[in-house]
Parts: sequence; structure tokens; C-alpha cells
Amino acid sequence: MSANTPAEAAPGSPDRDPRDGGAAIDGAKLVRERRLNNAKRNWALFRSDAPAVVGALVLLFFVVIALAAPLIAPATMLDVTQQLEAPRYAPPSLDHPLGTDGLGRELWVRILWGARVSILVGVAATVMSMVIGTIMGLAAGHFSGLFGGIIMRIIDFFIVLPSLLLAIVLSSVLERGVFTIVIAIGLTSWASTARIVRSQTLSVESRLYIERARILGAGHRHILFRHLLPAVMPLVLANTTLTVGGAIIAESTLSFLGLGDTSKESWGTILKNSMDVSAATSGYWWYVLTPGIAILLVVLAFTMVGRALEAIINPALRSR
Amino acid sequence: MSTSSHSDPRPGGPADPGPASDPANPATASDPANPGPGTGTTGSGTASAMGSNGSADIDEPPKGGSFAGYFLRKLGGAATSMVLVIVLGFFAFRMLPGDPVLKIAKERPMSPAQIAELRSQYGLDKPVIVQFWDYLVGIVTGDLGESYVYRKTVSSLIVEYLGPTLLLTGTAAVIAIGMGLWLGQLSAWRRNSLFDRLASSTSLIFWSVPTFWLGLILLMVFGGTLQWLPTGGMITPGLDPWSAAGIIDVIKHLILPVISLVAVVYAQFLMIMRASLIEEMSEDYLTTARAKGLTEDEVRRRHAVPNALLPTVTVVFLHIGGLIAGAVTVEAVFSWPGLGKLTFEAIRGPDLPLLQGTFVVFSAIIIVMNLAADLVYRFLDPRVRRA
Amino acid sequence: MTDLCFENVSITYRTSSSRGDVVAVSEVSLDLPAGATLGIAGESGSGKTTLIMSALRLLPKSARLDGRVLLGGKDLSQLNFGQIRAVRWSQASIVFQGALHSLNPVREVGWQIIEALTHHAKDIWTSPEKRKARMLELLEEVDLDIAKASAFPHELSGGQKQRIMIAMALACEPDIIIADEPTTALDVIVQKQILSGLAALVDERGISLLMISHDLAVLSSVCADLAIMRDGRLVEYGSSDQVCMQPREDYTKQLAGAFPQIGDPESRLNPRTLRPAEVARTQPFTMSDEVVLEAKDLSVSFDTRRGRERAVRGVDLSLRRAEILSVVGQSGSGKTTLARALLGLQKVDPGSQLAFQGKALPRKAKALRAFRRQVQMILQDPAGSLNPKRSVYEAVVEGLRVQGIRDAEYARVLGALEAAELTPAEDYLESIPQELSGGQRQRVVIAGALALDPQVLIADEPVASLDASVRGEILSLFLALKHNLGMSALIITHDLGLAWNIADTVAVMKEGEIVEYGEVDSVLENPQHAYTQELLAAVPRLGSQSLVRND
Repeated sequence: MSANTPAEAAPGSPDRDPRDGGAAIDGAKLVRERRLNNAKRNWALFRSDAPAVVGALVLLFFVVIALAAPLIAPATMLDVTQQLEAPRYAPPSLDHPLGTDGLGRELWVRILWGARVSILVGVAATVMSMVIGTIMGLAAGHFSGLFGGIIMRIIDFFIVLPSLLLAIVLSSVLERGVFTIVIAIGLTSWASTARIVRSQTLSVESRLYIERARILGAGHRHILFRHLLPAVMPLVLANTTLTVGGAIIAESTLSFLGLGDTSKESWGTILKNSMDVSAATSGYWWYVLTPGIAILLVVLAFTMVGRALEAIINPALRSR
Repeated sequence: MSTSSHSDPRPGGPADPGPASDPANPATASDPANPGPGTGTTGSGTASAMGSNGSADIDEPPKGGSFAGYFLRKLGGAATSMVLVIVLGFFAFRMLPGDPVLKIAKERPMSPAQIAELRSQYGLDKPVIVQFWDYLVGIVTGDLGESYVYRKTVSSLIVEYLGPTLLLTGTAAVIAIGMGLWLGQLSAWRRNSLFDRLASSTSLIFWSVPTFWLGLILLMVFGGTLQWLPTGGMITPGLDPWSAAGIIDVIKHLILPVISLVAVVYAQFLMIMRASLIEEMSEDYLTTARAKGLTEDEVRRRHAVPNALLPTVTVVFLHIGGLIAGAVTVEAVFSWPGLGKLTFEAIRGPDLPLLQGTFVVFSAIIIVMNLAADLVYRFLDPRVRRA
Repeated sequence: MTDLCFENVSITYRTSSSRGDVVAVSEVSLDLPAGATLGIAGESGSGKTTLIMSALRLLPKSARLDGRVLLGGKDLSQLNFGQIRAVRWSQASIVFQGALHSLNPVREVGWQIIEALTHHAKDIWTSPEKRKARMLELLEEVDLDIAKASAFPHELSGGQKQRIMIAMALACEPDIIIADEPTTALDVIVQKQILSGLAALVDERGISLLMISHDLAVLSSVCADLAIMRDGRLVEYGSSDQVCMQPREDYTKQLAGAFPQIGDPESRLNPRTLRPAEVARTQPFTMSDEVVLEAKDLSVSFDTRRGRERAVRGVDLSLRRAEILSVVGQSGSGKTTLARALLGLQKVDPGSQLAFQGKALPRKAKALRAFRRQVQMILQDPAGSLNPKRSVYEAVVEGLRVQGIRDAEYARVLGALEAAELTPAEDYLESIPQELSGGQRQRVVIAGALALDPQVLIADEPVASLDASVRGEILSLFLALKHNLGMSALIITHDLGLAWNIADTVAVMKEGEIVEYGEVDSVLENPQHAYTQELLAAVPRLGSQSLVRND
């Protein structure tokens, strides 16, 4: 136990009774034990969910290979001018574990490098969408009257219109690039988050402790940041994990439609290339299968982890 | 996108206007003196056993609003969305960084004179307000400009390609909703059974896959390797679509794209229905139903499912937009001659007037479907009739 | 006729959590002979609901039952599912809490009654027409307009839903009716109608009645025998009069204390509790003439779908230093709106005058904030009033931080907790609400208000959501705050006994208006207004099956 008690437990008041120190230390210890126990309980819950643990391991694997891609397979392996001798459309074999494409590049190298862009876009777009969604959802749930009504209509609009349609429009008028894809997905996919945050905000808003804070004299800032935001944060975090999967699929779809950055490898770009050479009907099954399976694995892993997190914060879901 | 339907607010739920005020409602008095048809042996003696003094019940909730009011409110919402789409359709293509014409010019060699001509052809040399006005007039009169790639008016292209898309997405929507809801309620009722685990994990897998990839796999297996089904188009050239052979041919062409669209979306519906019914399963009125002596099957069919359907239906209708958008990639994969394929071509062009047109029309379809869903919903849920 | 018998029943829930098995009921033996009326009283978690669910084998799969439940001499556990279904509703039916979700929200209530008839035709209601006639007849018996047959549950009031539940329970002419908190969440006047109606219907037909409630007075006004349950065990069992008037156990005494006899001088300004709050001052404060908070011609209106409605109409009130004023009314009478208006939380109609210490209530946010320091409010439900993630210290300090009071924060929190008698205060500082009992939570909420040193406390049903045994403690705390600190309090309640227990003055509200206002002794002992008289007559009295015998 540390001698310095946290400010939270023992606020520095000049006229403290001498025995306060002891009591405050006990209090701090209690807090720490409570947090530790909570963390332990949540960890135990997470560990007891086998699919989630497998999902977490899969994610760890993909993140490590994405980070280490330049070390495992130098960028020259993607350079077509270096692959003039390599066989084209070689099916998977010991020499070519995942097969090669029409320019002789190893698919496993492309998958490795594609993981960098696909996962990065997925995570970055999700963060953007979460931030927008949380702000809009909080505002729609907390403020009533004209302002809240306008926010609500904007959310409704983005819920009704599929994000893919809007993202297609956005990315076809902006400069091609990874950043554009992130913006296109992030700006259009926040509505479902906003809806969830809003309904959670509404339910918290109707609790008496919000009314009590008002009675104590609190304003919007206090209620928003001290009560509402902490109450929706766990939900937002669990939702983030679930949304990353969706964003990765969205990235692959946009790249497949030719709206991605063709100069950078991503799983969607590989699929687009395979479509361009009619791989599906020409018998190059590995060219279609491998990038899709990579997407499936990562998205499924994010979903499993997200569902486990959701179940931890919402015990009512544990029975699912 | 998310299966978290648990956090959706119940429609018509916490909408009470003022705290604790429900003054006398003079409308309906429970009248003990009303003779009524009941002439049973025990009836007469105890007719006023509950002794409510014949006064109106002051706590009785108010009667519901009119259908016209509800309809106008929903219509207003849909109209607002449509206006937003139209405005967005204009400004996204004109105001965003990156001159659309320069963008076209970048992708294909063009001389400065050609660029200037293109500019005036699209009206880009006029002031923005004038352009916007021309655009509005165009939308009202059905003139959406001319396609750069097809050299035809956008509206004629859309009319030509609309039918196949409605056929494809309509078929897929009906199958996906039916399958998703049916399997979802079975899955929830037999929670943790082998059936439930299979159904849930299959849908999680389908949910984690891009629609177009599933299309590619189907194309590869059934079109490429097995050669059972046609791989592209809507009908074999030369066949009359209204003859018996033509209809069968169209159905054959439909199978693969419909499966790809359904697979991803039914999985979402299944998860939503399942979560909704599981939530409903702990409700008190089911205990009442069991206490009345109903079998488990009756409890599910007569009580639990009708209630679980209601929150599900709202969420499901919200996802219809996603299904329609999925048509873009699926039509591209299977060369289905619909709006999605048109959008795909417009992106490849790039053909911005065409893209603008398909965006506005796609959005309009989705907005109209949502409006229809809202109206249907009012008939399904007695509680909304009051709200 | 059928009798119901619990023989040494224990019920255990298997849980997957670390708590292991939870014993909900242990070794309970009770007898309900044909035609008898038995009430089981207990607080939340006493196992009373679990026990009655076993009477129709409605327990969830995770429950294990030891002992025997005999219905008409047959052991229920020996019946197969088909036999059980035949027994349900035709031999024994249940009146669930209709105010909650016991009716299917998307089916017409008439349909739901007919459904029961369809399953137990009994050779009488063999055709749809006969079943419909029977359903309408039942609605009349419970005194509902037959037009209500096509209503959906959400279109009915709490009382009407409860009548539907009773009609449904009577439908198949059962021998036993089990009533689960049949009048909880209903107003006293409606409660009286429902209870006396139920008692009469049961009595006429010779049906035996098993009723459970947390409310001892409700049970004793209907049932001949009473059983008290606590933590799954039977604490006391005997005739109603004996259990209520000469309770043997301390626990029963506490429960009975929650229902003071109005007019009984012993309970006047003296709530019964085993843990009275301490009055430290040698010369306790008493009600003075100095007016602290005053309302003149106060009206509040809301815009609703039916146009503008006045929830509070022309109310005049004045609260003096060290006065406890109790505003009594049924739900919907506008009393909560009145409280919110007094705090400036609710916009009032033009012409209303509100003054604090002679000065008009401020309108600006900043001045209102300063005013809130002086007038604090305690909300109905202490569990909901505390943020589940914040510790006691954070909950109490919240007001100080919001008000910008920085000096001596720790000492103020400690002082407030001690004034609310949550002692030793240090031990509770870092507890979170879930670790506290209902009474302790309410003390934390009160401490949070006291930390600001307010002049006036407004409390909205401060004991309504607490277990009966805690009620006396909290009421005696209000009395002590008045005596020790000279604090004024305005307490909103539906409970006339509360006014009798602690208030100096009482105002009776009906439909937004104050119909009677004066000293507690004169108003409650000699009510002038017809509504006050009606309210007083509807208060259930302990013991003697008052509702059955009056009728």
C-alpha cells in the first residue's frame, strides 16, 4: 500500500482530523481492491468465452504480421519488375504456399502487406465513426427541443440511407487514397453507433441521479461529462470492436468497386484484381479464396471479441 | 451493421409528456348500471362488487392520435430525407475538393479545349446558385443530365435498369426476412440447443463476409466448376422474357445473385430476431400464459413471437437499405443489368452525372420503402397507434 | 373443493456464478384449507413469490424443490405436464400484478380472457359465442365496461388492468385464487375498491384465497390468517389479529410499525423504529412563525396532445422554519409537479408567485444555482438517485463541487454523513451504492443534500420504495433534522400515516388543487373535505379483515 493517498480518496482539506489519514488510506485500498476485483471478474468472464479468446489470438496474429510485414517479406517482393521469372497463376504448392497472381507475385506476400492497409483503415474509420456517433448520440439524447430534434433528424437520415451508398459518392469525388477511404467510411457509418448511444443516453437521462444532479445545481457540462459520457463509454468500446469488422468489409467493398488506392495493397484491392482477370470463372480459385478468408477471419475475430465485451458490460446478454 | 438490437428503445415507449399529470378523462365511464348481455347465474348478484362508484377512471390513458397525424408526421420525415438527398446529391458532386472535370481529365487524356467543352456541357461555368436551380428544375422534370459513358440521358438509363434491380432486391428481401425471422425465433426458443448453435454460428460467419466475395465464390463453384447455373446477365439472349422458357431462364439467372444478397442479410435478421425473442422470454405475461395452461408451443406462437416481432420489424426495415446497397457489388459480380451495375459502370467511368442519378434514385427507393414500413408498423403494433 | 398444502418446502436456485446455489425458500409448511384466506407478508427477497410459483409448478428449470406441494391431496411433482396444464387455471389461478407486464401488450384483453376459457372448456363454454358471453359476464362482475373487452392493456389504467387480471382468474371457476401483490402501485382509493371486490367475489363463491404482499395492512384487511416470511423462512404464522396486534417477533413488530393507526396518540410525531435518530439539542427546534418558502396562486400547465392541461392549479402554501409540511395526494394529483415548481425545476404559469425568505425566486441559471444551495430535494427512489459507479464520497461531494464550494470538502462530507446518521462515516466513504442497503442509500442521498447546508428539504415519497422495516428509521431522521438543525421540510406522500407520524401540517391535494390544508391533528382527526374523508376511509387498517367485514 502506498503512503501517498490518491487525491480522490483524501482531498487536501486543511482542517482534517488526524484520524482522517487512516480512514482515507483504508478508503483508497477499498477502491483499489474494488477495481482489481472488477478487472479480475471481467477477465475471468472473458477467458471463459472460448470463441472470444480464439478471436483475440487471431487478431494478435494478424496485427503482428501486419506490423512485421517489411521484415518478413521486403517490399521488393511486390515489385512486378522483380518477378519477371516467377510463374504466373501458380496454384498453391510448397514453393508458392498461397499461389501467385497474374504478375507472378506471391499471394501470401500480398495478403501480408494488405493486412496493413485493411486493418489500419478499419480501425481508423471506426475511431472516426465512434467519435462522431458518440457526440451525436449524446447530443440527441441529452438535449430536448429544437436542437435535439434537428440532431435526431440528421441521425435518422444517416440510418435510413445505407452507408455504402454515401461512401461510394464521397470516395468517387475525393482524391483516391487511403485517407479518403477512411473519411468515406468514418463519415457515413456512425449512425448506428449514434442510435445506440442515444438510447443508452435516454435511459440514463431518465434515472433519478441525473435529476438529483440538477437539483444540486449542475449544468449541462457536469451532466454530460460526469454522468452521461462515463455511462455510455463501455457500450461505445464494445461497439467499436464490433464496428471494426464492418469497416474492414466496407473498405474491401470500396476497393473492389475501384474506389481504393490502387498503389497500395489491401485485401479489397487483391479481390478487385482477381475480378479484373475473371479469376472466379478461370479456375484461379486461390486468387479469390485467400483474401476473402483473411477478411472472414479478422472480421469474425473482431465480432467474437466485441460480443464478449458486450456481454461483460451487459449481463443481460450473457445468456445469448 | 450491428446486432445490438437490445439497446433499441421500444417504439412508443418512454414518451410521456409531463410528469404525473393525467387529469380527469371524461370520455369513458365504466358504468355499473349497464345491463349488457351477460345474464349468467352469478352475474346479477355481484354486478357492482368492485364498487367503483361509476365514476370515470382518472388514470385511464388518453385515446390514441389520428392516423392522419401519424401519416403526415412520417411523410414529413421522408420528405425531409428526400430534400437532404437531393441537396447532398448536388453539393457532394460540385462543392467537394477536387474539380470533377479535372478528375475525369486525369483519368483519360484530354486537351484544355476538351476540358472547357466538358465544363460548359455540365454547366460548370455558371454560378453555383444557377447550377443548383437548373439541377432542381431537372429533378422535377425528370432530367438528370446526360451520361458521359453511355451517351444517353441518365433518366432513360435509370428507367431501363430499374426493373431488374427491383426484381433482384425484392426477391432477396422477401426471402431474407422470411428466413431470418423464422430461423431466429426457432433459435431463440431452443436457445443453446445444437440447432441454435449451428444457426447462430452460420449467421456469424455469413455476417463476417463481404457480399461480393460470397458472390465470387458462388460464381466459381456453381458457374465455373460445376457449370450448373448461368454466370452473368438476366436472360439468355434471344429468349422472350414473358414466355415460359424465358421465365425459367430468368429464375435460373436469379438464383446465384439472390443467394449472395440473402446470405449476408438473413444472418443479421436472424441475430436481431433471436436477441429480441430472448429478451421477450423473461417477460411476465409469458408466466401468465403458462399459468393459464398453455403448452410451450402455444406460449411461443401466440404470445412471445408476436411481441418479439415488433422491435425486430423496425430494425429489419432499417437494414433493407443495406440490402439494396448490396445490389451494387452483386450486380457487378453477376453482370445483372440493374441500377447496381449502372452504378458500378458510373464509378469506373468515371461518369459523374450517371452516379449522381443512381444515387438519388437508390436513395429515393430506400426512403419510400422506409415510409411504407412505418405505415405497416402502425397496423402491427397497437401501442404505436396511441403514440 | 380443493385445498393447497405446502409440506416442508425448500426451493433452491442453481446458479452458474460463484455464489453457487441460492436458497430462496427453506422448510416452509403452510396450509390453505378449502374456503380459507391466507396472506403471506414479506419484503423483497423473502422468497414469497418463489413459494407461490411452486403451487402451479411454474418455477424455472434452474429451481429445485424439496418437500411436497399438495393440491387437492395430489403431489404436484408426480403429475405429468399434460395433467399440470389441466390443473392450471381450472383448479388454481393467479392474479398477477396487472399494473406491470402480466398482460400481453399486443393482444386485446378480451382475447386474453377467452384464451383461458378455450383451454379449460369444462363442457360449459364449448362454443365461441358461449365463451364470448362468459367473458363479457366476467367483465361485468369486476365492474368494467364491456366495451373494454377490445382494449389493449396500454389503453387501461392500473386499476382497470388489475380488474382484467381478476376477471381472468375467475374465468374457469377455480377453487383457489393466488394473488401476487394485487394492489401494489395502485392508489389507496383504487386499492380499496380492488381489495373489497376481490374479497367479496372470493367469499361468495367459497374460493380460497392465497395472497402475498409486502404490505401487512393490505393482507390483514382481507385475510383471516397471516404468515410472515423473511429470507426464505417462515417467521410468524397465526390469525391476522394476533399477528398484527400481538406480534411475537421483533421483525413483525417493525413491519406492523409501518402502519400507524391515525388518531393513535402514541404514534403521533413518533414513528415506530428500533433505531430512532438521536435528538442532541437540549432545546430542540420547533415550528416557528418565520416563513421560509412561500407559494401564492401557483399554477403549472403542460402542453399535451389534448391541449394545455393544468397540473397544478392556484396553490397557496407557506413553509415556516422548522416546520414539516406534508402534501398528501394520489398519483396524478400534481404533487410532484408542485415540488419541482417550488425548486425552480419546472416552468410555472404567469401570475404564480414563489418566494424564498421573502424574495422572489430567481430565474437566471446562476442565481438559481445559488438558490438550490438553500432548498434541496430528496427523490423517491434512493437506488436510482445514486450513480451506481460513484462512491459514497463522490455522491455526497457532488453538490459541493457543482456549487463551487472548495474549502473543507472532506470535513463537510463527513459532517453531512454523520448528520444523516450513517456512522461511522469513514467506513462508508468508498462504498458504492450496490454495497449499501436501501435505508443506507437513502441516508447517503440525504447527506448529499445536507452537505450544502440547506434551509429547506423537499422530499418526494422518501420511504415509498424502502422496505417497511426501514421506514421508521428514515422518518425519525427527518424529525431529528428538524429538531437538531431547525430545518424545514416539505414531504410529498400518498401515505396519510406518514403525515401522522412526523408532520406538523398537512395539505391534501386533488387534481392539482389543495382541497384541505391545516394542522395535522385537526385535519386527520376531523377532516372537513369529502375527499380527505374518502382518503382516510380507504387507508387499510391493521388486522380484523376490515375490508371484508365492512362490506
